Amino acid sequence: MALAALRREGRRFAPMISPRPITALRSSPLAPSLEDEGPIGVRYISTQVVRNRMKSVKNIQKITKAMKMVAASKLRAIQTKAENSRGLWQPFTALLGDLPSADVKKNVVVTISSDKGLCGGINSTSVKISKGLHKLNSGPEKETKYVILGEKAKAQLIRDSKKDIELIITELQKNPLNYTQVSVLADEILKNVEYDALRIVFNKFHSVVSFVPTVSTVLSPEIVEREAESGGKLGDLDSYEVEGGETKGEILQNLAEFQFSCVMFNAVLENACSEQGARMSAMDSSSRNAGDMLDRLTLTYNRTRQASITTELIEIISGASALEG
Amino acid sequence: MTLNLCILTPNRIVLDSEVKEIILSTNSGQIGVLPNHAPIATAIDTGILRIRLNDQWLTIALMGGFARMDNNEITILVNDAEKGSDIDPQEVQQALEIAEANLRKAEGKIQIIEANLALRQARTRVEAINAIS
Repeated sequence: MALAALRREGRRFAPMISPRPITALRSSPLAPSLEDEGPIGVRYISTQVVRNRMKSVKNIQKITKAMKMVAASKLRAIQTKAENSRGLWQPFTALLGDLPSADVKKNVVVTISSDKGLCGGINSTSVKISKGLHKLNSGPEKETKYVILGEKAKAQLIRDSKKDIELIITELQKNPLNYTQVSVLADEILKNVEYDALRIVFNKFHSVVSFVPTVSTVLSPEIVEREAESGGKLGDLDSYEVEGGETKGEILQNLAEFQFSCVMFNAVLENACSEQGARMSAMDSSSRNAGDMLDRLTLTYNRTRQASITTELIEIISGASALEG
Repeated sequence: MTLNLCILTPNRIVLDSEVKEIILSTNSGQIGVLPNHAPIATAIDTGILRIRLNDQWLTIALMGGFARMDNNEITILVNDAEKGSDIDPQEVQQALEIAEANLRKAEGKIQIIEANLALRQARTRVEAINAIS
């Protein structure tokens, strides 16, 4: 970029034979390779080239605008579902508590991300937090494993943490999200992965412009018992009489599984909402950028057009005066 | 003294109101809950829940889940719930017949388990209608 500017500066003072469109030199959107060299160092940018560029930028703008509308409509559809599912995990948290600080040996980080791209930075933030949790919870006795949902997190995490990945699930949103599908998924995870604590990383949907990365912790029944006995937040759990099964442990086991699938369901829905919202704002800013670029290109086009007309006129006039005189 | 009952499913809130008494069926039998009950946390089987408000009994079909009772607040979390008044008798009869047919056709452990589950759910819904009428 700098070299091209130097080249332009050098040529500006060389031949003074034909008037050069000086303003065209400042047009940064066009690379020097597009500039033509006419007779004796006349430099002008072909209008054809500028026009082609304008057409492609306009097409891009149309596409991004359409993508924004599609994302907006998808967001509306999913948002009601996400809000309805929010009420589901709150009783669990009230009963069992959400203890991110529980010190456990086997951590499993469930990272939820999107399959498609062009959705802003939400996937990178989720991955960053997952990696942070991994680092925080790795040590002499502790270990952390990953369960990945979604292509984007898979692409980022497979590079440096391949040996720590237990399960990868993609194409979640092929069919509209419903609880049965997610509970089957949760079942799979619970069966195949040993865990003391499951930490689900997702982007919580606060509003169309704000998506906050959050971590929900689900503890295994043994850890719940341990925490309950040690008092603190879960101390109230013991005061509950537990019925409906042979032993308290069995109920707690079922409860933990149910809690996990409810929290997963909510997390997946919220992440889907955040994905659509982020895509809306990304597409919106890119349409606006395309609009700006189009304005600048239009100015360049007009200048180029006028410059070529001026050049033609001058050639004609000097030719005519040469004939006379 | 009334109980604040809240029935939640993953898709929606089915009920949120004040009731006088509830009878729910857990894995180890039916329990009746009156105001000022001790705090309990139980697992609920696929069955019907009966609610009494203002001397009127309502039935709701529940498809398995959990219930928690604390300080006159009951929270019931289930996979699915349908109010007895919302169920269409004919449709449920058909569903019951289809479920029975599926059970007879089922091969392999998984299919049998699924067919059994579907059958129980259909039976619960039939019970829910019959209990009111």
